[in-house]
Amino acid sequence: MKYVRSLYTLLFGVAVVLFFGLAYPHHLHYQEQFQLFLFDSTYMWDIVRWPGGVADLLGRFCTQFFLFAWVGATIIGVLLMLVQLLTLRLVDWGRFYGLSFVPSFLLWLFLLDENALMGGVWAVLLTLAASWIFDLIPGGWTRRILLILAIPALYFLVGPISVVFLLLQAPHPRRSPWYYGVFLLLAIMVVALSYRLPVAADRLWTGIHYHRYPTVVPKLLWAAALSVFVLTFVVRVCQKWADISRPSLFVPLCSFAVVAIVMGSLVGRNANIKAEKVMQYDFMACHQQWNRILQTAGAEKPNNQIGVTVQNLALAMRGMLVDHLYDYRQNGILGLLPDVATDATSPLPTAEAYYQLGMISMAQRTVFEAQEAILDFQKSGRCYKRLAQTNLINGSYEVTRKYLMALQKTIFYREWANETLQLLGNEEAIAKHPEYGRLRPLAFNNDFYFGDRVTSEMLESLYVSNKDNLLAYQYLLAYYMLTGDRDNYTRFLRQSSVRK
Amino acid sequence: MTNMLGLKTKMLAAALVFGALLLLPSCAGHPDVPSSSKDAGCLPAIFPDYCDVTVPCNIAPLNFMLPADQFDACVARFSTPDGRQQTYGKGVKVQMPVSEWHAILDASKGKSLKVEVWGQKENEWLSFAPFEIHVADEPIDEYLSYRLIEPSYIVYDYMEIAQRDLTSFEETQIFNNKVSCDDPKGQCINCHSYQNYKTDNMLFHARVTRGGTVIVSDGKVSKVNLKRDNTISAGVYPAWHPTAKLIAFSTNLTHQVFHTAHPNKVEVFDTASDLILYDVATDSVSIISNDSTLLEVFPTWSPDGRYLYYCKSVPLPEELRGEDISATWSKVQYNLYRRSFELTSRTFGEEELVYDAASADKSVTLPRVSPDGRYILFAEGQHGCFHIWHHDADIACLPLAQDSVIDLSCLNSEGFAESYPTWSINGHWIMCASRRIDGNYSRVFISYFNNGKARKAFLLPQEDPEHNTFRLKSYNRPEFMVEPVGISVDQFSKVFQ
Repeated sequence: MKYVRSLYTLLFGVAVVLFFGLAYPHHLHYQEQFQLFLFDSTYMWDIVRWPGGVADLLGRFCTQFFLFAWVGATIIGVLLMLVQLLTLRLVDWGRFYGLSFVPSFLLWLFLLDENALMGGVWAVLLTLAASWIFDLIPGGWTRRILLILAIPALYFLVGPISVVFLLLQAPHPRRSPWYYGVFLLLAIMVVALSYRLPVAADRLWTGIHYHRYPTVVPKLLWAAALSVFVLTFVVRVCQKWADISRPSLFVPLCSFAVVAIVMGSLVGRNANIKAEKVMQYDFMACHQQWNRILQTAGAEKPNNQIGVTVQNLALAMRGMLVDHLYDYRQNGILGLLPDVATDATSPLPTAEAYYQLGMISMAQRTVFEAQEAILDFQKSGRCYKRLAQTNLINGSYEVTRKYLMALQKTIFYREWANETLQLLGNEEAIAKHPEYGRLRPLAFNNDFYFGDRVTSEMLESLYVSNKDNLLAYQYLLAYYMLTGDRDNYTRFLRQSSVRK
Repeated sequence: MTNMLGLKTKMLAAALVFGALLLLPSCAGHPDVPSSSKDAGCLPAIFPDYCDVTVPCNIAPLNFMLPADQFDACVARFSTPDGRQQTYGKGVKVQMPVSEWHAILDASKGKSLKVEVWGQKENEWLSFAPFEIHVADEPIDEYLSYRLIEPSYIVYDYMEIAQRDLTSFEETQIFNNKVSCDDPKGQCINCHSYQNYKTDNMLFHARVTRGGTVIVSDGKVSKVNLKRDNTISAGVYPAWHPTAKLIAFSTNLTHQVFHTAHPNKVEVFDTASDLILYDVATDSVSIISNDSTLLEVFPTWSPDGRYLYYCKSVPLPEELRGEDISATWSKVQYNLYRRSFELTSRTFGEEELVYDAASADKSVTLPRVSPDGRYILFAEGQHGCFHIWHHDADIACLPLAQDSVIDLSCLNSEGFAESYPTWSINGHWIMCASRRIDGNYSRVFISYFNNGKARKAFLLPQEDPEHNTFRLKSYNRPEFMVEPVGISVDQFSKVFQ
């Protein structure tokens, strides 16, 4: 029976891994790009000093591995399996065995949201682990004293999700008045903290960093956490009224199958595959996978702005933009170089286009704005890397060094940072570099002001600055084609052929 | 009896071990100087550069480091004028305990202390030429406040107004833009300002989400909307009258554009700006100056409150009038003016030109009069009003009895922006924000000033000198205070509810 149950858990874990690895990999990349985990004591202290900070830190630590989707999927799979195993140990589930998967399924649903943070999963996991450990401690004064100490400690470790710990411990000891005092203690502590910590008081109750949107109360996370208490309570009550003899192998299998089908269908229904597609285009642009972009765009004709922007950039990078512009779905000039919006996601593919075009200052501004727009005030490995590159190309070596020194404190960007540090001030090496050596000569010769919109005059000025800039040439012709400006199209073609 | 003796012996042994443990870190903090070393023949390239600077007698430890990519270890020996010596050094950093450093400062007050530095490179010690740190008799104001902000363009992330104890390294938060903001658009906080260096009467602005001006009057917090029907915007750049509950503000219609190639990166400009006077007691706003053809900005009071100084743009040449502002902005220049003020009648006199910067093809911003009323500091660049983004901007000082500025090259840097100049309450310390370290992230620099002469500026000391490298925030609008802000973040946040 024990081994069969382990098999079910494993089956569940494999399903989670396959889902995130095959159907949702770019959601994981998306998560990774909006944080920068540093192996630095100041960075870590800034996280753990807040209620829920340890869960948050563990969540951020795990998220850095999402750069590799299968590793990320495996981490999520393991964590959700652990949640199920800890839930399983809280009560004798008997014929309701399948219900022990409900909290894990709810967490899976929670993680379908690209702004749901892994710190929330860790908060639930640590709370269940604390409850399990407490179940091992025999009753008496030692247990009571430890309980009193555990309340503030757990609150600081995982945040307000720790209330589930109190609820889970509630049915065990006899309910003396001082036992209810511990709930009061928690309330007083939170109120007192609201005066001490520079954070909105309501977030001390709902969680400081379970979700990227500061004002969102993650209902599914809370449902997952509270479901542990509700389900164990219901199972206990049911078992008082029903036959509690050990069920056959068939009954738990059935209960598992029912939960898996119901919750699995909910996961399928709530998975945002449309967003996954958009994230895929962004990911491919970030990693400069031009051929893969053209294959993907050719097969499915993207109809979202990011997809069209990336598709046009890939066409231009392969020298096909002018000839094949209308072979693909277009979105006017907004599909070529969209206006810079004030969010963290949509400007990044546009910034990639600016970068490849040689509009380095514009790329820098766009990436900087995108990073500033990350709603939970985190930094981004992807943005830091690009900011280091744009500053390097612009010759701002000391600013580049700052970003590189921060990236040196990461696992996955360290090697790149070390290599790039060698380039600082080395003009010859930069000139020979396949990327920076190509982009630096493409810069604008003349300085002028720019805002949120690229104009044909800017593209023409870019091309005039360096007539080897074939990307600028293609983008300008595409600009005239998409705006129906035949006069300028003809004029520019004539002028550029004369110049050539 | 034998048992008692045994117990005592054990307790004594335990006390000795405990004492030894306590002493261990202290010993580790005072390394021996190298027994042999090679003469480097130059001053050490320490960061921050504290060689031959003049510092206040109450400043926090001047911790520094040798470049980590060039050295493996660093030892520094500090010698006070009375002959006492102490050594510090761990790795490439020299970090001193606050209490020991203050003892060193006390022993060197009004004199100089000598610093000898050794650096280890590939198992060989180099000894650098010794330098001095001059300790002034005059203390610096105990607190400093600044806004910590990314050197951003339009979108902003987490920002805070922080206060720093200048005698130690303690930094606490006055307010942040997270605590009372529940909108994804975020909240911008800026322009903290105090009356006479004290915090009983102070203000800062919050914009976008639940915006308004947070005013503390005699310790009581309120939020007001300074946008009135007859003003072009809410209050922007503030200046508290030194004695009355009056605040002069500029009102501005501000815009930003970005450079495609110029290292200045960002250009901030006004398409309109006026001056208003806000009466805190009556919540009333009156117009000081609202010339629709010119731009008035950056008000500041003389220490006696009898004059209001401000900057005002010079009319554009005839041929440029009517042109798009983005084309003409680089030609806009500001001069420094003042108007007398009668407190009882609350009336302003005629405008007087104080400094004609435009004639020298310059533009003046952010004036601040010295506490003794003899000098006025300002930021001066070639054009415009937002000099913190102008690489050519420097701090200038004009003796009010003269019409030419005095040399402040000791405070300024070559080719990097300096802005936000201000005086300490005793007028002996000048502070400014400068982008000189990397061209992007502004830091606070302080310079000694006496009888019209400034000394070499030093970087605001940090407990870990590398903090200056790793803190990816700019120090914006540094302001001296003689006391900390006593109102908590939570108390401030209540006015936004």
